[in-house]
Order: sequence, then structure tokens, then C-alpha cells
Amino acid sequence: MSEDDQNYHQLNNDNNAKAGEDTSLAVLRFLRRKWMDSWHGNPPGKVLFLLGLLTGLIMSIPIIYVIWQSLFAGVDRWRRLLDDRIPQLLLNTFSLTVAVTLCAVLIGVTLSWIVVRTDIPGRKIWQWLLALPLVIPPYVGAMTYIIVLGPSGWVQNAWREVSWLVNMFGEYPIDIYSFWGVFFVLTMFTYPYVFLIASASLRKMNRNFEEIARSQGMNTRQIFWKVNLPFLRPAIGAGAILIALYVLSDFGVIAMMRYVTFTAAIYFQRASFDTASASILSLVLMLLTIVILWVEVKTRRKSKYYQTANTFKEPDILSLGKWKIPALIYVCVIFFVSVVLPIIVLVYWSAIGIGRGALDARFFGFAWNSLRVSLFASLLCMVLSMPIIYLKSRYPSVISSSIDKLSYAGYALPGVIVALGMIFVFNNHLPALYNTFYMVAIALVIRFLPQAMQAGEASLSLVSPRIDEAARSLGHPPWKVMIKVILPSILPGVLAGGALVFVSSIKELPATLMLRPPGFDTLAVRVYVEANESFYYLAAPAALIIILISIIPLRYLLKKY
Amino acid sequence: MKKSIKSLMFIASLMLLVILVTACGQGDEDELVVYSSRNERFVQPLLDKFSEETGITVRTLHEADALQLKEETGNVQADIFISNDIGALEYLRMEDLLASFDGEGVETIDAPYRADDNSWIAISARSRGFIYNKDMITEEEMPKTMEALMDAEFEGQFAITRGGNGGMIGNVSALRNEWGDERTAEWVEAIKDNAGGIYSGHGDIRQAVGAGEHPFGLVNNYYYHQQLEEPNNNNVGFIYPDQGEGDMGVIANAAGVGLVNGAPNEEDAKAFIEWLLLPENQLEFVGESLEIPINADLEPPYEHAVRFADLKVQQMPLKDLGKYFEDTKELIEQSGLDLELR
Repeated sequence: MSEDDQNYHQLNNDNNAKAGEDTSLAVLRFLRRKWMDSWHGNPPGKVLFLLGLLTGLIMSIPIIYVIWQSLFAGVDRWRRLLDDRIPQLLLNTFSLTVAVTLCAVLIGVTLSWIVVRTDIPGRKIWQWLLALPLVIPPYVGAMTYIIVLGPSGWVQNAWREVSWLVNMFGEYPIDIYSFWGVFFVLTMFTYPYVFLIASASLRKMNRNFEEIARSQGMNTRQIFWKVNLPFLRPAIGAGAILIALYVLSDFGVIAMMRYVTFTAAIYFQRASFDTASASILSLVLMLLTIVILWVEVKTRRKSKYYQTANTFKEPDILSLGKWKIPALIYVCVIFFVSVVLPIIVLVYWSAIGIGRGALDARFFGFAWNSLRVSLFASLLCMVLSMPIIYLKSRYPSVISSSIDKLSYAGYALPGVIVALGMIFVFNNHLPALYNTFYMVAIALVIRFLPQAMQAGEASLSLVSPRIDEAARSLGHPPWKVMIKVILPSILPGVLAGGALVFVSSIKELPATLMLRPPGFDTLAVRVYVEANESFYYLAAPAALIIILISIIPLRYLLKKY
Repeated sequence: MKKSIKSLMFIASLMLLVILVTACGQGDEDELVVYSSRNERFVQPLLDKFSEETGITVRTLHEADALQLKEETGNVQADIFISNDIGALEYLRMEDLLASFDGEGVETIDAPYRADDNSWIAISARSRGFIYNKDMITEEEMPKTMEALMDAEFEGQFAITRGGNGGMIGNVSALRNEWGDERTAEWVEAIKDNAGGIYSGHGDIRQAVGAGEHPFGLVNNYYYHQQLEEPNNNNVGFIYPDQGEGDMGVIANAAGVGLVNGAPNEEDAKAFIEWLLLPENQLEFVGESLEIPINADLEPPYEHAVRFADLKVQQMPLKDLGKYFEDTKELIEQSGLDLELR
């Protein structure tokens, strides 16, 4: 029995002895009992609890602040936005989200089917080649396609040279700065989420079901619709929600390709210092995000498909036959469009950039800024995630799970909203930290802390609580147990979480862009700024470095699915 | 266990490194914080030159907005504000966000191009006008006044920027001064309907006109100079509008520098302005923009540039633009021209 438990019992005895003496004491006692009950009689130590609570609050305050601001933005402003901008923004955002999600699911599922279940040549290699677009941040993808398809781009210049094209189709028909441009880029750089999840569940699919279906006279197509697809439904749903959330929160692609959804509108309202309107739009976007998260929780509860584990047989591999060539072409085209072409473009412009001296002291300054802010953010995340996951796993209660949920607020919501809240909070209440390196780092922590938490939790679930109890019985308070006993054994998980946060921070664009102090541009910010000014030779080397760094956690990501 | 101790040490050393790194970044050395709303390409070389010659570290926020200074009133961050729009600078002065300056070199700039208390000083000037593609339209066919853009004759013929563009805002403010709000709102609405293309910035317009996507576009004069310097697509001409008898004259604006009130590094800020007023640095300020230096003793970097003395320029003193700064955007938006592209 732990120290606190003993106290608890002693207290109980005291209570019995002094019952009914004083009403204020009675209230205190009542509160105390409630407190004990909510922890199931096992409250954590004060230090640990306060650390966790503080972190949870820091994670959510900026967002609460945005909501608060939007509620006091005035009826007039609300009415004007509701009449004028919000319907159009809803339409833009909604149509883009639906289109990208549908198309990415279609591509992801068909690719995973071809790669996992058929005898396509080189299927083992394709399984990870097709996940590679994950390392290319979509805003970098957008830049490469502006270079290729945009005005005065590669394709347009080629088009002008070929007279019969001009004669037959007239002027160059592609406008990359349009719904279709944004749709294309977002689809090409998000489908791997569905691809990875669907591949994993296809691999786990039991052959017995298919054999039974076949014995009942179904052909391959019928089996796909009647047997495989229902099993894939949870995977498709999970992938679709990831993609929908991504599209809602994306800023880089949308701003660079001059399409306007909520994130871009919030950013531009803020850029012209109409902060009240920006917070109103943020509130609407938050509601949209919450709707999608709610759908996720709903569907996850409903759809439980069980596989019978004891008779598991590896799924067999279908022969493509005459479809071999078309399937191979399909896979190659997707790979070329989403990986090969962007890399060629970046290498081409980087080579030009290096020739023109793009890698000067200024460039290394930007790289150094990226490195140190990301490093600092990932260290903070590793440290701050510990109390939260420790509380959640060892002291489960309403309070600890609320703290856990609060910490997800900044992760689920778009970066522009987090940044908006940070500006309010820091400029008004923390002037000393406003416009410093630390403000950017804290924004990154708010956005990515859950990545560290998830990785840490996975490790912590493997450590028996008996070890904690043993340590507690030797007289350590909970926070010391956490640091001295638990931390060393879950260190690999914590470090993996830190690495994930590091890479996400390097890639992060909207919050960094809105919060950077004077003279503190990062590589991601430079890619955005230079690409917008069409200085591709300056943007490309920075983009390539971001991609190279993003490869680090790819193994971990592939293993996770 | 040994392994975990090793990694703990590793973490500890990393932390130490980060703390060291961030600590040395925050040192109170000689520094200058510049907010700039002018194109980074023009400003950065100037600031680099300043750092090199004086040893003062310059930290710059590009694409800054005048309103950020207002938001930071209680927590002043910037020492210097560089702007493309005298309206923004005068607005800041009126809001008490700029401080007076009386250093050396001020007299090299004519009085109409400085604030009354010299809290802002303009260095280079530009005017509005029409860049046209000579393959598509002749000089005779071109409109000769701002008003002419409202004619149905030019429907679909020209390109403009979005309403939130600094040059466009200055343009509309000047028209408000000349015509009053009602007529100006009509003008904004008409050019929005007549425009064949609406772009984010003037750089896009000059390229589009050069490439033959539009016969002409409404830009600042130095974009014409820039397009002439291009290796191809450079068969372009330029119209300075409203030059005729009784016309209002060309709409002008200027780029300059303001001293922020309560600047954390006031000494360095003053030193910067004095340094900037040296003739060679005034030219550096004009830099690649190919604008026209206001100091009449200086040769324009672009030799064929039409001098302001040879043009009929609108009568309004530039500082009057400040009166219109705050609500011009609103007028533009209400007239149906979006501030941002949608």
C-alpha cells in the first residue's frame, strides 16, 4: 500500500472521530472525498499532478482564447461574415475536402490492393516506394507543380513549341491556380495515409473467408465487393478521416495555389490585422473539425470486424494475367507523379541554386534556425509528455483523461488557429516572451505534443505497474518514480516520439510563418516566401533539405501501420 | 541499464547545447529591429550593407504591416519601419507611433517628401500608370486617364491587382482625395468589372502583359522598367496617365523609412537613418526596384526613367494619404474588389 493510500485511511478515521463539528470543515471534507473518489482512492502526488495540469492548460489556452475572442467580435461582424464570406468558404472548403478524400481513398485502396494481393513485378519494393510521398511536405509538392504546370512552366513552354497542339486545342489550357490544381496536389501527397492503412489490413485478411466465398461460386470481382471491401471499411474510414482533417488544416498548398479555404482566409484576415474576423472564421473551422472527429468516434465504435486468429491463413496472391501491364502502368504513373517528378524538379532547381550561390551564410542561418527551434520543441515535448502519459496510465480518472484530451486540442486543430491564439496570449499577457524564439517553440509543442505522447504511451503500456508500486513502497514520491524508474525503461519510445516531433517541426509552416520573430526565418518559411516570389532556385535547396530530414522517421511510420 | 544511462547523458548534453544556443541568441549586443513592408529583394541588400559597415546586427521582419506596430503599442518591438506607402507612414505618425527625428542629412530630401517632424522620410518615388504590350495595342489606342478605365471600350483589356495591394490602396486613396468617395467607389467597381485579370501583385501583371496575356495593366512605373530589363517579352510601353490640360496629373507615392516611437534600440535606429541619408545609401535604397530617387542630385539608377520634374504630378501632398489609410481598404472591399484573391 502506498503512502497516500495510508493517509487516506487515516483521514477517514479522523473524519469519523470529528464528524459534524463544523460545516466549513464538512464542505472541505466533502470536496476531499470527491477528489479521492475521482481518483479511485489513489491520487497522484502534487508535483506530478500540477505538472500534468499545467501542461494540459498551456496546450489549450490559446485555443480557448480564440473562442473567447470570436464570441466578443460583435454582432455586426458576425452577420457580415455569415452573409458574405462564410457560405463561400464553406463551399470551397467542403468541396475540396470531399473531392480530395474520395480520390485519395480510391488511389490508396487500389494501389494497396495491387501491391499486396497481386503478382505485380517488384511488389515488395512498391510497398514502400508508394509510401514515399509522405516525406514530401504538400507545400513543396505544390511548388514543384507550379514549376511544372504553372504559367510559364515546363509544360506550357513545351506546349508553345508544338504547333499542332496549339492548333488543335488553342492556348495552353491548364490553370494550376484553381480548384483542380489544389485538388490534384493534395490528393497526390496525401494518398499514402490510406495506402499504408489499407495495406496493413489487407495483409491481415484471412484467406478462409475468400475461399468460402469462392466455393460458393463467386468470382474475384464479387469477392472484392462482398468480402474484401467490408473488411477494408474500418481502414478506409480511418484513412479518409486522416485525409479530411489534413485538407481542413492545410495552409501551404492552398495559399501557394491561391485557392481560399478557411485556413487561408484566417491567415489573410490576420495578415491585414482584422483579428476579430479571423477568430470568427477560426471558430467555424473548429466546428467543422469537431464534426469530422465526431464522425470518427462514431464510426470507430460501430464497426468492429473480428478476424478469427486461430485459423489465420496468409492471403493468397492473385495472378494479374492480361491486367499486368495496365496495373504496372498505373502504379508507375502514380509513383512518377508523386515522387519522381517532384524530386527531379527540386534537384534541377537546387543545382541551379547552388550554381548561383544560394547556399550562402544566410541560407545556413535559416537552416540553423530550423534546427534549433525544432530541437528545442522536441526536447520540450519529450519532457512535458511524461507527466501526462504517466498520469493517464497509472492514475486513470476523469481528471487525468481530461488533461490528456486537452493536450490533443492543438494537434487536431489547424496551425493557423493555434498561432492566432498564441499572438493574443503572448502580446497581451506574456510580453517578455512575445516575438521571441520561445514563442515559436511553444507553438510547435502545442501542435505536436501528442506525437510524443503516443510514442511514449506505447512504451509505457509495456511496463508493469508493479514496478512503480515497488518503487513507491521504497519511499519515492510519484514524480521521482517516474523519472528514476520508469523513464529509463521507456526511453526508446520517448526518443522516437521526440524524433517525430522534430521532423514535424522542421516541416511546420503556418504557425512558424505567423509567429516568427524578426530575423528568424526557418527553411519552411523560406520555401513558402521564395516560391511565392517565383525564386525557385532559392526555394529548392531548402525544400530538399526538409525532405532529407523527413526520411528519418519513415521507418517508424511504416512500422506503425 | 548501462545503455539507458548513456542515452540519459545524451539527452542531458543535448539540453545543455540547446540552452547554450538559445542563450547566446538572446544576448544584448548592438542590434536593430526593422519591420519592412517593402519587397525583400530591395531591402535586404541595403540592410546587409548597413550591418557590414557598422557592425550592428539587423533583425528584419519582411512583409510586415503598419498595423502590427499598432498592435504592439504596449510592447514595442521594432526600431525602424520601412514602407512603400506614405499613407501608412503618415497614419502611424498621426497615431503617435513614430518619433521625431532631427539628425544630419534630412535636408537632402525636399520638404513635401518628409513628415513635418521628420518622423518619416521618403527616399524613392514611383507613379501609377499603364504598362502595355506593343504587339497587342498601340499608344493611340491606350487609355490616357484613370477615368478611362471605366469605359466599356476597355472591358477585358487590362489587368489589376487585388484590392489589398499597397499600390492599389494608395491609388484609391489619391482618387478619394481628388474625386470624393462616391465617384471613387464607382471607379473601383467599374475597373473590377472591366478587368480581364486580377493578380496578387504587380510583378505578375508585368509578366502577364509582357507575355501577351493582357494588352495592358495598371501598375507602378518601375515595373515597366523591370520588364524592359527582361531578356524576352520586353516589347512593352508605358503611359503616364492624366497628363493633359486640366487633368489631375499622375498619381504618385513614395517609399521611405520611419522612426518608431519608443524604439528599444533608439540610438541604432537614429544612426541607421543618418546612414541611409548618405547619397550612396539613398541609391542603395532605390536599389533593384528601379524607382526614381527623390533626391534630385542623384542620377536615377534606371537611366531612361522619366524624372518627376518632367511629369505633371497630382497636386495633393503625399502626407495627405495618411488621412485615408484606415478606411480606404473598407471602401475598396465594399465596392466589390476583394482585398485578397479568392
